[in-house]
Amino acid sequence: MTTLIEVPDVEPGTAAPKSKSAPGGGLGKYIVIRFFLIIPTIFILVTLVFFLMRVIGDPITASQGGRLPPDVLAQRIHDAGYDRPILVQYFEYLGQLITGNFGTTITDRRPVVEMLTTFGAATLELSINALLVALLVGIPLGLIAAQRRDKTTDAFLRCFAILCYATPVFFSGLLLKLTFSVWLGWLPVAGRVSTRTELAMGGLANPSGIYWLDALRSGNFAALGDVMSHAVLPAVALGLLTAGVFLRLVRTNVIGTLGKDYVEAGRSRGVSEYRLLTKHAYKPALIPIITVMGLQIALMLGGAVLTETTFEWKGLGYQLVQYLNARDFVAVQGIVVLLAVIVAVTNFVVDIVAALIDPRVRY
Amino acid sequence: MALNKKALHGVIALAGVSALALTACTGPTGGTSTAPAGGPIAYGTTDKVTALDPAGSYDNGSFMVMNQIYSFLLNSKPGGADPVPDLAESSSFTSPTEYTVKLKSGLKWSNGHTLDSKDVKFSFDRQVKINDPAGPASLLTNVESVSTPDANTVVFKLKLANDQTFAQILSSPAAPIVDDEVFPADKLLADDDIIKASAFYGQYTIDSYKKNELVSFKANADYKGVLGKPANDAATIKYYASPTNLKLDIQQGNIDVAFRSLSATDVDDLKKDSKVKVHVGPGGEIRYITFNFDTMPFGTKTAGADPAKALAVRQAIANLVDRQTIADQVYKGTYLPLFSNVPSGFLGANESFKDAYGDAGKPSLDKAKKVLADAGVTGAVTLNLQYNPDHYGGSSGDEYALVKEQLEKSGLFKVNLQSTEWVTYSKASRADEYPLFQFGWFPDFSDADNYLTPFFPDGGFLKNHYNNPAVTALINKQLTTADKSAREAGIKDAQNALAKDISTLPLLQGAQVAIAGSSVKGVENTLDASFKFRLGTISK
Repeated sequence: MTTLIEVPDVEPGTAAPKSKSAPGGGLGKYIVIRFFLIIPTIFILVTLVFFLMRVIGDPITASQGGRLPPDVLAQRIHDAGYDRPILVQYFEYLGQLITGNFGTTITDRRPVVEMLTTFGAATLELSINALLVALLVGIPLGLIAAQRRDKTTDAFLRCFAILCYATPVFFSGLLLKLTFSVWLGWLPVAGRVSTRTELAMGGLANPSGIYWLDALRSGNFAALGDVMSHAVLPAVALGLLTAGVFLRLVRTNVIGTLGKDYVEAGRSRGVSEYRLLTKHAYKPALIPIITVMGLQIALMLGGAVLTETTFEWKGLGYQLVQYLNARDFVAVQGIVVLLAVIVAVTNFVVDIVAALIDPRVRY
Repeated sequence: MALNKKALHGVIALAGVSALALTACTGPTGGTSTAPAGGPIAYGTTDKVTALDPAGSYDNGSFMVMNQIYSFLLNSKPGGADPVPDLAESSSFTSPTEYTVKLKSGLKWSNGHTLDSKDVKFSFDRQVKINDPAGPASLLTNVESVSTPDANTVVFKLKLANDQTFAQILSSPAAPIVDDEVFPADKLLADDDIIKASAFYGQYTIDSYKKNELVSFKANADYKGVLGKPANDAATIKYYASPTNLKLDIQQGNIDVAFRSLSATDVDDLKKDSKVKVHVGPGGEIRYITFNFDTMPFGTKTAGADPAKALAVRQAIANLVDRQTIADQVYKGTYLPLFSNVPSGFLGANESFKDAYGDAGKPSLDKAKKVLADAGVTGAVTLNLQYNPDHYGGSSGDEYALVKEQLEKSGLFKVNLQSTEWVTYSKASRADEYPLFQFGWFPDFSDADNYLTPFFPDGGFLKNHYNNPAVTALINKQLTTADKSAREAGIKDAQNALAKDISTLPLLQGAQVAIAGSSVKGVENTLDASFKFRLGTISK
């Protein structure tokens, strides 16, 4: 489900008059309040995930429950410290978190921070690619839909938009994979890069983990091509999810702007329709895109879990599923904390941008 | 509104070109390319590595990598499962409780360190000392101490005399030998540190390592173990989350071998694909139904407790299950009917259940009716049968639906089929919550005893309240019988006795299934009863 935000009807180029009665008043205070709201948000999420993960069981039972006598299993759980009082474990975990110690994953024994940076880079790459697809598809099609308002093209594009954000990403992903990889054989089935390319790029010093960037840095254009070919389907599958939102948003805003008095006035002065669209309607319609883009980050991260699993794109979403199945609560908590921080910070930035654009949203 | 169409088309074209730019650079390494002949052997799997430190992992994914980079005192040659000297020159019992191993001389780790008896003692001592919850230290419970009279001699002092499984223990996941100058004695060593220290003595060394993504191996020229020189210069392991992606990649030639774990449907589909070949080898995995002797119908803790009737219920079920149909319909031949507690391929394995129940492997309604009637059981018996949908593969639901159908079709049983997720299931099944339940087993090492000792003496790890001192005596006897044919006879006796009691009802035996490109050779050589996949046997 995607919620379209209401875009305040502010005439482009003008700021709403500061309301003296607006509670709280200033931007500074607003920023401070919004910033401090991040902390309880993350705290609540961390707490929720901690207790939920304990409810679904421990990793020792998950991996060895079918092989060991109950007493031996209980001893191993005890040795690992998973049978201590839950609150003791919780406060210990909070203490570690405050000191920046995320611990070591249980099931594959790697430092959580290293795991987050390794797989975070992959998710960041996928998100950038998907955002690019969303913008390249959503904005032009939104413009066309607005320009062809209430015509067949418009109806078709609106249906397309609904399909985009209503289709589960694993379904669209599988469909894309079947079409372009299995039937047509144009693109790779899965993964971020082919084995040969990965080995060839293995010698790169201080790799960023963002493959196209690393391929560019190494000047290996064959590798870049390989990376890009692997990136297409996951990016399209995830990008279309947001493209539908952008399409509808651009359409709505352009239609709204094209109906404004100042546009009508321009029209009556003989300004071309193209100039009206690009000069007066197009740019203002992009402002809500910026704010919505921030809100879509959470949607994208959610979509990334399914996209990464479908396409073997080894990012945070992919790992989250693996660790959840193995009941590796240390790893799951680490990933969720990072995702929570990303979403909270993004929303914070969006709030600030929105407040700068439209002072009426301030407290 | 008549928009300037030319301009609008320009905007769209720009978007289109930008989108296409993503794919414009597609090189020849796309999904449809085939792996180059003579290049590294590309192996794909859905298994995962927990740790490369032998003290910190006890799973198929980790052990598979260990088998390429470490050696054992004893190991089996491809094609067999009998342990033969690997790092050892010779090995034998020098007294009932002493097992002495003479090492080859002049062994060196890939980092140049000397490999001698000190490393061996260190490897076993640290396993026991670390005793990691996820590690295999429990396999070494019979080792009292390890001593090193000289640089080439290791003496294991055992608690149980004449333990006939000890040679297998020395080639098990508890027994890879590690470099004492690299590994700490009391804690695990991280994968990256192992690789940095180049602490390898196996057919391969690790060239590059991205955990659970891609491992690259290079043949180790200094290796002089039992496996010999690998048939290839290099190999890679690629890790998958989805069996579907693994299947598609082997079909498209992006990997040479796919092993563990494709679904039965995928394997069946791949059998029809001319570009790949399906290799099937003996498997040690078994599936069975466990009876809780306290809570099953007429069990000792039920209202109508009657051991004779309870036995009749178990025997009637044994007469009714149609294993072949389950194997064919649900598992498409990736599992085979199992007619004994010890699967075929192991010393002494027989088909005790085939002889005792049913009609030459087929179900027998008449026999089922007779045993129940003889015991005085009247009317349909209600069975609460539990299975797990997430630990033993996605086909468990189909498997148990078929079991239910087979039992109910007889009119002798009414089956309430229930399923529970694994963590809860694994605990509840051994806490008397399930009267009948599904379980599976993958052996710790390749010996028939691994299907007997963990299961049946004093209820075994199943805690199903089965305890027959006569059976326990038979199992203990075969474990310490040095004479092979006498031991074989003892194992058969134990199976026959177990078939009479039916503590567990064997259903299926898994096969090892590897899919390889049609030009790939040597896969069949490693699909043996040791259950160790060796990349060194493969070439293309």
